[in-house]
Amino acid sequence: MLFAMVALPLLGALLPRLVQPLGRRSVAVAAALPALLAFLLLASAAPAVIGEGAVWKASLPWLPQAGLALAFRLDGLAWLFALLILGIGLLVILYGHYYLDKRDPGGRFFSFLLLFMAAMLGVVTADNLLLLVVFWELTSISSFLLIGYWSDQSAARKGARMALTLTGAGGLALLAGVILIGQTVGSYDLGTVLESGDRIRADSLYPLMLSLVLFGVFTKSAQFPFQFWLPHAMSAPTPVSAYLHSATMVKAGVFLLARLYPALAGTDLWFVLVSSAGLATLLFGAWMALFRHDLKGLLAYSTISHLGLITLLFGLNTSLAAVAAVFHIINHATFKASLFMAAGIIDHETGTRDIRRLGGLRRYLPVTAVLATVASMAMAGVPLLNGFLSKEMFFAVATETSLYGSLHWLVPILAVLAGGLSVAYSLRFVHDVFFGEVPPALAAHHPHEPPYFMRAPVEVLVVLCLLVGIFPAVFVGPLLAAAASATLNGSLPEYSLAIWHGFNLPLLMSVVALFGGILLYRFRTPLFALQRSWPRPSAPQVFEHCLQNMIGAAGAVVKWIDNGALQRYVAWLLLPVALMMLAAIASMPDWLGERALTPVDGLAVLAAVLAVVSAVATVLLRRRRLIALLMISVVGLVVSLVFLRLSAPDLALTQLAVEVVTVLLLMLAMYFLPTRGTIESSSWDVSRDLFLSISIGAGMGLLALFAMTHPGDTISAFFIDNSVPGGGGKNVVNVILVDFRGFDTLGEITVLAIAAAGIYALLENLGLCLPLYDPDGRRWARERHPLVLRVISQAVLPIALLVAMYILLRGHNLPGGGFIAGLVTAVALVLQYVANGVHWVHARVPNNYHPLVASGVLLSALTGLASLLFDHPFLTSTFSHLHWPLVGEFELASAMLFDLGVYLTVVGATLLILARLGKLSVVEHEESY
Amino acid sequence: MMAHMIILPVLLPLFAGLLILLEWRQRIWLRRLISLAATAALLPLAGYLWLQAAGGEIGVYHLGDWAPPFGIVLVLDQLAALMLLVTALLALPVCLQACRGEDKNGANFQALFQFQLLGINGAFLTGDLFNLFVFFEVLLIASYALLMHGQGAERARAGVHYVVLNLTGSSLFLFGLGLIYAATGTLNMADVTRVLMEGRLVSPLLLQIGGALLLLVFALKAALLPFCFWLPGAYAAASAPVAALFAIMTKVGLYAIWRLWPLLFGHEASPLNSLVTPWLWPLALLTLAFAALGVLSATRLATLAAWLVLMSVGSLMAVLTLATEQAWAAGLYYLVHSTLAAAALFLLVGLISAQRGLLADQLKAGNDLPPSLAVLFLILAVVLVGLPPLSGFIGKMMLLQATPDAIFWILLLLASLLSLIAFSRAGSTVFWRQQKDAFAERMAVADLIPLLLLLLCTLVMVLLAGPLAEAARGIAVQLLDSQGYVDAVLGSGRALP
Amino acid sequence: MEILLAIMIAALTGCGVYLILRLRTFPVVLGLTLLSYAVNLFLFSMGRLLENAPAVIGASELHADPLPQALVLTAIVIGFAMTAFLMALALRAWGEFGSDHIDGRTDELDPEQRP
Repeated sequence: MLFAMVALPLLGALLPRLVQPLGRRSVAVAAALPALLAFLLLASAAPAVIGEGAVWKASLPWLPQAGLALAFRLDGLAWLFALLILGIGLLVILYGHYYLDKRDPGGRFFSFLLLFMAAMLGVVTADNLLLLVVFWELTSISSFLLIGYWSDQSAARKGARMALTLTGAGGLALLAGVILIGQTVGSYDLGTVLESGDRIRADSLYPLMLSLVLFGVFTKSAQFPFQFWLPHAMSAPTPVSAYLHSATMVKAGVFLLARLYPALAGTDLWFVLVSSAGLATLLFGAWMALFRHDLKGLLAYSTISHLGLITLLFGLNTSLAAVAAVFHIINHATFKASLFMAAGIIDHETGTRDIRRLGGLRRYLPVTAVLATVASMAMAGVPLLNGFLSKEMFFAVATETSLYGSLHWLVPILAVLAGGLSVAYSLRFVHDVFFGEVPPALAAHHPHEPPYFMRAPVEVLVVLCLLVGIFPAVFVGPLLAAAASATLNGSLPEYSLAIWHGFNLPLLMSVVALFGGILLYRFRTPLFALQRSWPRPSAPQVFEHCLQNMIGAAGAVVKWIDNGALQRYVAWLLLPVALMMLAAIASMPDWLGERALTPVDGLAVLAAVLAVVSAVATVLLRRRRLIALLMISVVGLVVSLVFLRLSAPDLALTQLAVEVVTVLLLMLAMYFLPTRGTIESSSWDVSRDLFLSISIGAGMGLLALFAMTHPGDTISAFFIDNSVPGGGGKNVVNVILVDFRGFDTLGEITVLAIAAAGIYALLENLGLCLPLYDPDGRRWARERHPLVLRVISQAVLPIALLVAMYILLRGHNLPGGGFIAGLVTAVALVLQYVANGVHWVHARVPNNYHPLVASGVLLSALTGLASLLFDHPFLTSTFSHLHWPLVGEFELASAMLFDLGVYLTVVGATLLILARLGKLSVVEHEESY
Repeated sequence: MMAHMIILPVLLPLFAGLLILLEWRQRIWLRRLISLAATAALLPLAGYLWLQAAGGEIGVYHLGDWAPPFGIVLVLDQLAALMLLVTALLALPVCLQACRGEDKNGANFQALFQFQLLGINGAFLTGDLFNLFVFFEVLLIASYALLMHGQGAERARAGVHYVVLNLTGSSLFLFGLGLIYAATGTLNMADVTRVLMEGRLVSPLLLQIGGALLLLVFALKAALLPFCFWLPGAYAAASAPVAALFAIMTKVGLYAIWRLWPLLFGHEASPLNSLVTPWLWPLALLTLAFAALGVLSATRLATLAAWLVLMSVGSLMAVLTLATEQAWAAGLYYLVHSTLAAAALFLLVGLISAQRGLLADQLKAGNDLPPSLAVLFLILAVVLVGLPPLSGFIGKMMLLQATPDAIFWILLLLASLLSLIAFSRAGSTVFWRQQKDAFAERMAVADLIPLLLLLLCTLVMVLLAGPLAEAARGIAVQLLDSQGYVDAVLGSGRALP
Repeated sequence: MEILLAIMIAALTGCGVYLILRLRTFPVVLGLTLLSYAVNLFLFSMGRLLENAPAVIGASELHADPLPQALVLTAIVIGFAMTAFLMALALRAWGEFGSDHIDGRTDELDPEQRP
């Protein structure tokens, strides 16, 4: 039943959008229906909740690990707020139907409205603090959408953003506070939390929790100094203002005060924070309201001031004050909502909300005039109206408060002042609008009474004001009792709801306030002058300005940290490495371990020196591209020699083969890339780079030395032992590649295949013009395919292919293998390209290498897959020896098929890449000739 | 045969990719069909593996039938299964989106897409350090190519940065591997841990430097400040489907750290423990703060999304270093949420740009947009900012509850506030400030399906938050039990010959 | 021998790192190539050094550690693929924004050099 009450508007929110095609009336009906049903459900709960003061609960688990549950409770307080939300909600829907322009998309409007209604119901009925936060934020979102409803107006967008930002921030603070509370109490269940108020107040984090929660409350309820968003939220359609920004959403804050009153209130901190914020807001709002020219602006500020009053009451820390607060919540909701609607009607009928352009409207809108007058009398606290009663209570509490120490007389004085101001602005609302002479512009407009049903909601509310005002005990007594006791979570204090308490201080204060107010209004002209003399920065401008500055600053910081220079990125990446190395060097372990060094001879030294020198030369001569390339290939050569010397023939061969192809690549690239460029590194950069490179180089060298001279046992003994029996190959390295760790190799050739495919895509439709001169200004050779080269290359091809086959086949037992074979073949074919040009080759070799690459990898993968058929894991190898004539004892291993796949991939990939690069030039050649 | 299921997440995309390469030029519909079929098949497969792992026992697959530590093993524990599942959930919508036409803007897209998946899945499954390197290279080279898909100057610039940084990273990775091999004489993750626990290290120094280098490389992939500068550019430059797929890429780096944390980095016996842990926490917080500023200063929707990815990295890294059950459970939930949500946002940005012509995704007033996009944007904003009631809020709540640290709280809350501001500005600019004379193109519902699929996932994460959090807790427990991992992997071998 | 190798590794690493930190694409490519040489030597050295002991059964009684060799082989191939891609990327970048600056900053090139 509780779920239904919240779910109805939530799901109903879709209805209006769906029925939009059926016309505006049906939209309004679709919107009213869920609200009405929910209202009936609520009413059905009245006897139990209000009558016997029972508490209805319902809950479903949601996220127990985090203490979040779909738990709802309906007690007096919740019921009261639910009544406001649904009751006024219904009236607003009715009103809104007539208010909205034909052109406005009603579906969207009512959907948002219902969404908000659901969220609000959730807030007031939540029985789990986290759930409360959930709905709390939902109200912020939906109000953002409603304020920005007329999204083409800049004011609406700004107002919406400002409201969202502030209430959103509040919501986050609230979340933090709630989690702190929950972790202190050990549960987020509302009942438990309310019970353990003492523990919370005793906790060392209490001040933090309180301020976080209060931040949420104050932003939501527009308490000073966060009040400024509310007036600008008034750019929303008037029904929204009436609903969200007077009756319900802004009340969410004070609702939370009431809800958590037993858990948080009762400390001096609470008193100081809450009451002073309330007092400040009360006076500030009342003062500002007096000077607004915009009707809604006036009402907005008066709302702020009344919210301040309620907050102040909660802040006074006496249960009587709490009762007064709850009472005033009810009253304010009724009269303020009706006033907003009245303002809306005026706006609707006269086309303006500016008080200075209004006047004497009672001639045109007699009924509305009466209604508005009564409502604003309630706002002013005139006897026989509900406003009077709660104000009396307020004055009573104010006089009794002994707080603020020696300043205890201050509260009553200020209270009276605020009362006077409210009288003044109420007078202004009535007198300036409905009395006095009619401005000609207005008369020309011929305003008239609105359609009956647009006025009906106002009538209902005003009648309520009167009834409560005259027979409080009957109409509001039980409700107030139930709500107040739920707030105080226990016994009620002594209070009487009567119009006449005899001659006493509160009555005197009311009288003073009443006449003071009238005087204030009478002599308002000097006040206006005074007010005008003060600077009045417009909140949205200031806000947007701050925001812009913030964004600008953020952007600046980001730019400052991330300046878009790769050099710095790499430096950042290498800095930790350098530091690590320095730390390692500093820690000074025994760099030379126990392991005996392998002997050195002159050749080795020579090679090493050669490598070092040419490496350095590569750096120094990097701008003389050709030479740099030469140098680097020398380095590569030495590296492969090192491998050969240190018993790694496979590595030596591979390194050599790769060397050739890489150099070819670099040459092609060098051929295209520009040679001159002016942007160079600053000296600071250079020194930084020197630091990085030297420390990293030295570190790596020393670490290598350290590792080489400290022997440790490794897993590779296993490979040597199992190479022949397990892998059927004598060349352990190759067996590891195609068998023990064949999966790596599969990945490796896949990388090659991907690179080929990627490069193909990368260089698609890329046209580069060839520099006609080399760096030294010599003309590149015009003759494209020198004869000698052509002859040699064609002679080489068959030999190369033979060699490749040999290397491939023997690979399993002697140094060699698919990869080297592949590269040899590729090089031989590339030679054809260099010698005879792309066309010549394409005429003979199909240049469609994608399938070749793919089938290579496929072959390897399928070899591995075959083992699955025998229910062996992927890549399980098998082999058998068979006797071939002539060839002799010959071994056939599944691993060799695998290796064949490697071979094909390498050939395909290399050719694909080089052909692609070659193509670039070809395109251009034809153009440049 | 069921035992072989573990390797399918690797083989499926591999063969799919190869077949597509065979059919590289003609018949795009065939390429799409293969790609879609393979990607779709990943989903039930991942689901099955998830159920397998959920039981709690760790599946080990011996490639080439060689027992660990000598052969390469694939290890399927709950974490791996989860990551596979997320990848599959992400891949299908992205693939669908790409098939809507993006894949025509360059050669070999579908093949590269499959290879990317191959690399990612492999990295999640492998239990061997060097094999991890190989799969990293697979997914990197694929990502290089995918990033450049469609070409253009911006992509070229981002590409050069991304590639050079990661190639440097790969070299560091190899240095690190070498040192670890020198220190422990093995490459199998579990075996390294065993050597560690039995104190058979050649020298702690070698392992310290080696491990630290690996961590550095993973931090680069995960985009931790100050190694994150490649991210905003790359993600913003990439085409929508690619960017969406990349949403999982940073998570691969995080995964690697997560995987090796209990085994190596955070292991009490490890000489790394005291070395690295103190660094990560502050860096994580700085990343979070930096990303928040980036989000606020973004001038394009895609950039905004990219910075959000970075933000999630920061918060995840923070909880990762806490290494408590609760923290990791929260982190895992948040990881899944942030991945799917970010991907969804990238897809949406793609749709929006398609509607706005030259203006693309810049935060400027443009033409009228279909309301469907506005609604989706709103929902995604709520998800990503972490507003109730969607997955972002739940994730944030769990993170806060799990992290007893004031600074983290402040930063996380501020970050969400800043992203709230950024999103409200972006949304009101793009969807509310519209020139009256502008038009609204009709949206084909088919264009929205991939996005809706992703949103559905996040929605499920909300409804089933309870069970999912329970599962996350289970994963965290299993992950923290390094002994259990070692026994499962090394105990699985048949008697050595 | 170990010391010589260490010196080589140090030199190649240092030069490689320095080149990677240059501003033009070509030196960066050279740098990565040098660095990969260094890495290969380093990785190889992690298996400790042995002379005339190829890991071929029957060729000798002592065998050098074959595993690092296998790893280096894989690394070489992958390095080759990466270098090739980076090279192509450099060309694409040069084509895209008429400059071989790593950040695509167009410095004042003489016009006949523009693509």
